[in-house]
Amino acid sequence: MKQTQPRQNYLGVGGWVWAGKYKLERYLYILHRVTGLGILFFMLIHLCMATVFRIQGQDIWEATMVLLHNPWFKIGEYLVCAAFVYHALNGLRLILQELGFTLGRPTPPIYPYKDSLRKKRPWTIAMAVVIVILALIFFYDFIAGGW
Amino acid sequence: MRNTYLQILQLVTGILIAILLGIHMVLMHLDAILGFFGIDVGEPASWESMIDRAGQGIWAGLYIALLAFIIYHAFNGLRNIILELTPSARTEHIVTWTIIVFGIIVFIWGTYVPIALLVS
Repeated sequence: MKQTQPRQNYLGVGGWVWAGKYKLERYLYILHRVTGLGILFFMLIHLCMATVFRIQGQDIWEATMVLLHNPWFKIGEYLVCAAFVYHALNGLRLILQELGFTLGRPTPPIYPYKDSLRKKRPWTIAMAVVIVILALIFFYDFIAGGW
Repeated sequence: MRNTYLQILQLVTGILIAILLGIHMVLMHLDAILGFFGIDVGEPASWESMIDRAGQGIWAGLYIALLAFIIYHAFNGLRNIILELTPSARTEHIVTWTIIVFGIIVFIWGTYVPIALLVS
């Protein structure tokens, strides 16, 4: 009997980023993952800062704060804020979708097909607008705080 | 089935983190805008402000709760990403237990200082 070979279509980690035409939501999902890992990395550094330097008293703490007022650290801090805003709001959208909201009613598949991904697109756009506004508010405050 | 419960906890902790970390972010980074609305938080990263908050039980409690939620959410998320590479059952077991042990170490390490500052 002729044995059918399975198709070698396993893409591994590369497939997370590119496996043909991904839609907008899929790229948002990748960004969700990247920001999540970034925040995890920052959380560990932040814990070091908030424990090791804080327990040693006022002088060490203030010296650390002077070091952290370096503009490069400020840019990093802003990126963490923006990543948090993105991760929180995109996560809210993912929770709503996972529980079945914002997907629309099921409809019979009559041409032209309208899949739930395109039906919920306005929610995605609305979420993106809120993210941009909040990121700009944080940016304004970083500028107003004199970097 | 177990992973379903872990995923539901992931959603619940996600919402709780959005609220608690939202408070933290607004307090730490939006001081100019809060000042515009008449709420003066001073310099939130200064020693006086930090020690003042560290001495209040409600803030210490909120921060420890936030730490617990974040550690669960972050390490469960990391585990989900690693397990998407479809490792063998043995590797999955090792990954799960490494992450549990590391999470507990980070939690103890992170709660020691707030409790020490609260008690002193």
